[in-house]
Amino acid sequence: MIAVLALLAGVLLGLWLDPTVPAALQPYLPIAVVAALDAVFGGVRAKLDRIFDDKQFVVSFISNVLVAALIVYLGDQLGVGGQLSTGVVVVLGVRIFGNVAAIRRHLFRA
Amino acid sequence: MSDDPGQSRRGARAFTPDFLTELFRNPLDPGYADAAAQRAKSGRPARSGWSVGPVGLVVIVLLGFLFAVAYRQTVAEEPGRAQARSGLAAQIKQRQAETDALSTRAEELREEVNRQREAALGGSHAARLRELEASTGLGRVRGDGVVVELADGPSGQDSLGGADAGPAQVIYLDLQSVANDLWGAGAEAIAINGQRLTSTSTIRSAGQAILVDFRPVTGPYEVSAIGPGGMRERYEASRSALTMRQVAKVNGLSFAVRDADDLTLPAAPEPRLRYAEPSVSPSVSSSGGDESSGSGTSPSPSGGGR
Repeated sequence: MIAVLALLAGVLLGLWLDPTVPAALQPYLPIAVVAALDAVFGGVRAKLDRIFDDKQFVVSFISNVLVAALIVYLGDQLGVGGQLSTGVVVVLGVRIFGNVAAIRRHLFRA
Repeated sequence: MSDDPGQSRRGARAFTPDFLTELFRNPLDPGYADAAAQRAKSGRPARSGWSVGPVGLVVIVLLGFLFAVAYRQTVAEEPGRAQARSGLAAQIKQRQAETDALSTRAEELREEVNRQREAALGGSHAARLRELEASTGLGRVRGDGVVVELADGPSGQDSLGGADAGPAQVIYLDLQSVANDLWGAGAEAIAINGQRLTSTSTIRSAGQAILVDFRPVTGPYEVSAIGPGGMRERYEASRSALTMRQVAKVNGLSFAVRDADDLTLPAAPEPRLRYAEPSVSPSVSSSGGDESSGSGTSPSPSGGGR
């Protein structure tokens, strides 16, 4: 419950502060969001599996976002940014799907 | 946990053999399982319910923040993109309108210049000038002549049917040979789709398009020529007419020659004359060459030192 409240607080904070993203960081925003979603669904699934761990969640979130941004940055520098972003999205998307499927099994037994 | 076979096998296998297989089989970060195993070993109880530690809370707040920022960003970007596109479209339209207005204005001014010039010159000089302009393509001309019509054949049947027959399309070479043979048949003025040909005109192809004087023309093509009577008969006997008739019969593109009365051919755009310029060499003797090269280059005694 506290987690949901914290998420809401974060959303409200973001909407209220309305920060402007520097132009240099804008390409990484979508990838960062996908990476964060992966971390969130991983955390929820771990919670339902009763193996949730704070440290693991924090580390996975931060490292996911950073690694995704790094890959995209590298891709941009090498001229294959689009393809590498696609790769990142595919990998994270597969993980999100798998985790959501596990969450679904937990919640609905189906 | 029992529904996930990858989980229990994890302890025994340290290295994942196939990244993609592992990814599909077990999408959860292995760290969770490791942490749970460690906790079980040390005997600490797992947290119950939905409570999270303070660091976790901070990260969750951060997550919400990130989502909100990304949402804001996406929403803010959308009208920008649409605006940019519509702005570009509006610019294109505006520039086209400007170009049209300017070209009509140029046309008007040219008429005005012609009228003034005729008034100033008067008599035989003006008549001679008109004559020259008509023959060089710089003046509008009217008269009787011949219209040659060429059009692409119906699409879909090209290049598959006939072995030696090319595609049923008019290519720039056809227009070139038609124009050349019309000149040969005595034409005094020729225009392709209303584009007047002069002595410096080009008929070329760029990809699929045919360019006449660097302006694209599209089929059906109409080559109008003004010339003396009997031009049609002479043209019909020319090589391009015979060739095109044959090509039309085999390939299915259409080719027709007809007499036309009272054709009006527009003037060609003002030619961009290019002048040869003497190359500036330091060894020019101080004769007429220096003066004609103009003040821009200004060959001076000190110039040799540079």
